[in-house]
Formats: sequence, structure tokens, C-alpha cells
Amino acid sequence: MPKRSCLILVAALAASPADAHVTLETKQATVGGSYKAVFAVPHGCAGSPTVKIRVQIPEGVIAVKPMPKAGWNVDVVEGKYASEYDYHGNKLSSGVKEVAWSGGKLSDKNYDEFIMHTVLTDSLKPNTTLYFPVVQECETGVSRWIEIPAEGAGPSHESKSPAPGVKLLPKP
Amino acid sequence: MRLLAALATLLLVVGFATGARAHAALVSVEPASGSILPSAPKAVELRFNEAVTPGAIRLIDGAGRARDEAHVNAAGETISVAMPPDLPQGTAVVSYRVISQDGHPIAGSVIFSIGAPTATKPPANADSGLNTLIWLARIGLYLGLFVGVGGVFFARWIVGSTVGMGVSRAALIVGLFGATASLGLLGTDLLGLSPAALLTPPPWKIPFVTSAGPALLVAIAAMLAALIALFWAAHARMLAAIAFVGVGASLAMTGHAATAPPEMLTRPAMFLHGLGVAFWIGALAPLAVMVSKSSAATLPVLNRFSSIAMPVVAALALTGLTLAIIQLERLSALVETRYGLILSIKLALVLALLALAALNRFRLTPALAGDHKAAPALRRSILLEGAIALGIFAVVAGWRFTPPPRTIVPETPLAVHIHSDRAMFQVLVSPGKAGMNDFVLQLMTGEATPLRAKEATLTLSLPERGIEPMERSAELGPDGYWHVRKVELPFAGRWHVQIDALVTDFEKITLEDDIEVAPP
Repeated sequence: MPKRSCLILVAALAASPADAHVTLETKQATVGGSYKAVFAVPHGCAGSPTVKIRVQIPEGVIAVKPMPKAGWNVDVVEGKYASEYDYHGNKLSSGVKEVAWSGGKLSDKNYDEFIMHTVLTDSLKPNTTLYFPVVQECETGVSRWIEIPAEGAGPSHESKSPAPGVKLLPKP
Repeated sequence: MRLLAALATLLLVVGFATGARAHAALVSVEPASGSILPSAPKAVELRFNEAVTPGAIRLIDGAGRARDEAHVNAAGETISVAMPPDLPQGTAVVSYRVISQDGHPIAGSVIFSIGAPTATKPPANADSGLNTLIWLARIGLYLGLFVGVGGVFFARWIVGSTVGMGVSRAALIVGLFGATASLGLLGTDLLGLSPAALLTPPPWKIPFVTSAGPALLVAIAAMLAALIALFWAAHARMLAAIAFVGVGASLAMTGHAATAPPEMLTRPAMFLHGLGVAFWIGALAPLAVMVSKSSAATLPVLNRFSSIAMPVVAALALTGLTLAIIQLERLSALVETRYGLILSIKLALVLALLALAALNRFRLTPALAGDHKAAPALRRSILLEGAIALGIFAVVAGWRFTPPPRTIVPETPLAVHIHSDRAMFQVLVSPGKAGMNDFVLQLMTGEATPLRAKEATLTLSLPERGIEPMERSAELGPDGYWHVRKVELPFAGRWHVQIDALVTDFEKITLEDDIEVAPP
């Protein structure tokens, strides 16, 4: 019996790689609404503990507010947007372009989440996937979750370290 | 005396301080030779396996005119020849002559056509008589260094007098002419000029951008020092020693053997090899004279020379063998390449020389002690040794014209051009056969300007044989290209190549294609 459970465990391990990426917890969001982006970090870089998470904010995503996290410093990099966005009657032409959590240490054995609040503007195209490229820096090594599939590439073309994405739904 | 010692030290330092130098070979050309292009290229790029200095680079356009406005830009391993904007339709030829780091010229032509091919021919090689002159000058140089300087060293350190120095003196004069001629001839060869150009300054200047110029100057200085030591008794021993060291230093400064990696090994080996040759061969002419005079002083000198000659010959064999192994890389090159053939002939002659030396040492010299009638036999044997040595010089001087097997690279490595809207990657695989390969990645933007990447990785797989992707990170070389060296491709077949260029922390460009890897 122990032998069989061993086999099952092996099978489970072999089947799990799809979940072993940095991903967004909520897979769908509506254009024009707010979106709570929860980045799930399931492991370190090849066993090394994570010490920094950097998220690039895609164009068309505004009003970014990262959630503070105990044991981590949070920094933002601001810059100019490619175009102007209307936000509660104000014209926004610049804002947060990158969010970084650093100073903490997340062991490879543990799981954690890094959270930010965002607003998805109307300029985003519904029925596409919006990608948030993530750079995961570890004590030794870096994992870049930055691969964005080319337009038209089928789902069979699975990349090795995809950027976390969220499916955009049209306004109801 | 102190000054002389300092000079000797300087000679040694100059000999070993020159940087990495070896024999260059062309690795790739862009546009590829023989290609037909829709419009004139902005530049022709020649890439070598090591840094080179441009010598003479000429452009003949599709109308058959020689164009002198082609601007040449050299950066490390790459030479870029900017094309004039008004290049007409037809076949253009870029003929190049570049100077490899060991001081030897590499020449060839790139032919490409704009629109449609025409009958433009590469310029004929003008060096018909030049190579013979270079060869003769080199033999003269060897005579001066080994027979001349070696003879003076023998006279001043082993004999203690200048009896029988006629041959050595003549060899020094010949050597000085040979070295000077080598300098000018090297220049004319590097620049692709005719021997008539020796009357103009350029061929005398260009050798000094290579290691060959300083090496020849050291050789000239050594021979001058030996000449002074021959006529001026005051500091004769010291000068003779400096000249002797200069022979080794001059040889260790340049050429195929001294510049082969690992230089920590090859340069000292070449230095000792040169000293050994000078000691042995230099002694032959004065010895022959002394034996024929057959005075009472001859026997002690012979015995002293023999006792030192044994370890010297051992050192010669050891250093020679070391250098040969490094240059050949594999035994079959001994018969398959011209370089190896020259080495084979040299080895045969050396064996004959060793046999004669053993005969002299173990039979004829002891016989001389008991019976003065043995003198003519010994003299004949020594003269024969000298003749064989001359033969070896003549053979070895031919190495100047053959690349050593270790530097021979296949002329057309595998190349693939991957193109998307955002980027163009040129991938060169040499030798492009199953086995160990070197990859060069040339990354450009969609507008053909250099693409600045933070990192580049090469991923290879062979799906037909079930070989899963293997990933290797590339290193940015000083030539601006990314290199992945020593990649094992275990099988021939259609390999899938993927190149990831990290442009910013969050953005990478990935291009992929297939390459056909040939069987070894």
C-alpha cells in the first residue's frame, strides 16, 4: 500500500507544473471596473527563497494601490502613461508603472500572495488577456514571468515562464 | 656590465609581454559570398575567429571599376567595409588582406551581386615572386640567428677564442640582410603590394602593428650584438650571451608556434627551442674548422661541447614535441595538412641529424682521442650535420605559408537568419556539424540597428530524436555579438533553435527557427 501512495504522489507531482507559475488569483475582470490583483507566488527560484517581487503595470491600468505587507517594503515607480485616462472626472496622464515588494524573505517551502488594487480603463480591449509581467528575484537567481504569447498563437504553444494574465470581459 | 644585464632582461620582457596572438581565419561574411541582393548593402562585414588588423581592402564595383572610397572600420574580430551609396548593379568584389595577430596575412575575396550577376573578377594575386623572396629572407634570418649568433656564443663561451669564425661571420651578415629584407617583404605582403613598393615607406611601417616587426628588430639587435662580440673582446662574453638570449626572445615573440594557446607554455617552449638550436647548430661550423686543424686544444673543447649538448638536445626534443602536439591537435594532421607535411619532413631530417650527432658523440669523438686519423671522418660528419641543419631551416621557413591545423576552421559555418517585425537575429554555428559547436548570435532590431540586450539565451532541441530543450546563456563579446561556446550537439538532424533576448527586465524578444545540422 505505501508503494501505491508513493506512485500517486509521483503522478501528482508530475501533473502539477501548470500550477507552478506566478499567477493571478482572479482570472477574469470587467473592463471599466476595478480589479483586485492577487499575485500568487507558489515557490522560489529553483529552491532559493524569494526576496523581491516586481510587477509591471500594463498600459490602460490606473489608480494602482499596492497593499502593504507585513515584513516587506513596498515601493512604486511612477511614470507617464502612453495616453490620458479619465478617472472620476480627473485626467490622469501619469501614475504607477511598477510595483515592487522587497526586504522580505519567502521560503521555497511556503506560499504567499502579493496584492494591489487597480482600475481597468475603458481603453482596454474586451475578450483579450491582460498581462502583468512579474520579475521574481531570489537569494540566488531570478525568475522572469514575462512571456506573453504572440497574437494568434494557440494554447498548445505553452511557454515556460508565462506572464500572469487576466481575461477581460466586456462591460455588462 | 649592469647596463648589459638590464638590456638582456628587457629583451626577455619584450619577448613575453606581447598579448594573445595567433593565426586568424575567416568565420563568416555578411552578405554571404555569392549572394544576389535586391539592392546595395550598406556594408560588408567580415568576421574572423580572432581580432585582426586590416591591411589592404579593395572594392571593385559591378561596372568593373576599382573604388577607393570604401570606408574600412575594424572592431576586434569584425571588419566592416562601408559601401559607397551609388554602387551600380552587377557583381561587386571586396578583396581583403588582413593581418592576423601572429603577424601573418590572411587574404581572400567576397563576391556579391546587386540585381543580377555580371562578369566582375576578383583581382589576381600579385605575389608570384614575393613568396619565394620571403622564404629566402627567412632562411637567411635563420642562418644569422642560429649559425651566426650561435657560433659567436660557442666561440666566446665554450672555446674562449674566435678560431674558425669565418662561417659564423658570413652567416651574421646574411642574417642581417635576411632580417631587414623580411621586415620590408612582410610589409609588402601584408599590404598586398609588389616588391617594387619596398622603396616607399608603408611596407616598412605596417609590420610594427603586428608582433613580427618588433621580433625582427630584436633579431637584428641580437645579430649586431653578436657581430660586436666577434670583434671586440672587452665585453664579448656578455654581448654574446645577450645576443644568444635575443635569438630565443625573437622567436618567442611571434609566429604560429609561440602564439598558440596556452602561451604560458608555448612562449617559453619556443624560447628554449630557439636557444637549443642556436647552441647546437652554431657550434657545427667552428667545430668542423677546429677538427680539421686538429690541434691539441680540440679534444677538450669537443668534450665540453658534447657534455652540454646532451641536455640541450633533450630540451630541444621536449620543447619541439610540446609545440608540435599543440599545433597539430591530432596525429592525422601530420599527413593531411601542409603544415603537418612540413613537420613530418622536419622530423625526418631531425632524426637523421640526431643519428649523426650520436655517431659523433659516441664513436667519432672517442676515436679522435686515441687516433688523430679519425679527424677527417668526424669533420665530414659535422659538415653533413650542418647541411642537414640548412635543409631543416629551408623546410621550416615554409611554415610561414601554412596555417597550423589548430587554427583551420571550416569556411562556411552554418548560418541562419531569423526575422520578425521587432528583431532580426543572425545565428552562426561553427562548424555546424554534430559534435562540439560554437554559436555566435548577432542581435539586431527590425531596422537592422544593433539590439541592446541585457541577457541572451540559446535553447536547442531535437524533437525527432526526443532531445528536450537545453538552455545555455550567451556571453556578450567585445565584438558586440553574443557567444555560446562549446555546445555539444549529439546528433545530426533538424535542430530547433530558440533565442531569447532580454531587452528590459520585463520584456524579452523570442525568435525561433530550425537549423539542419550535418553529420560529423
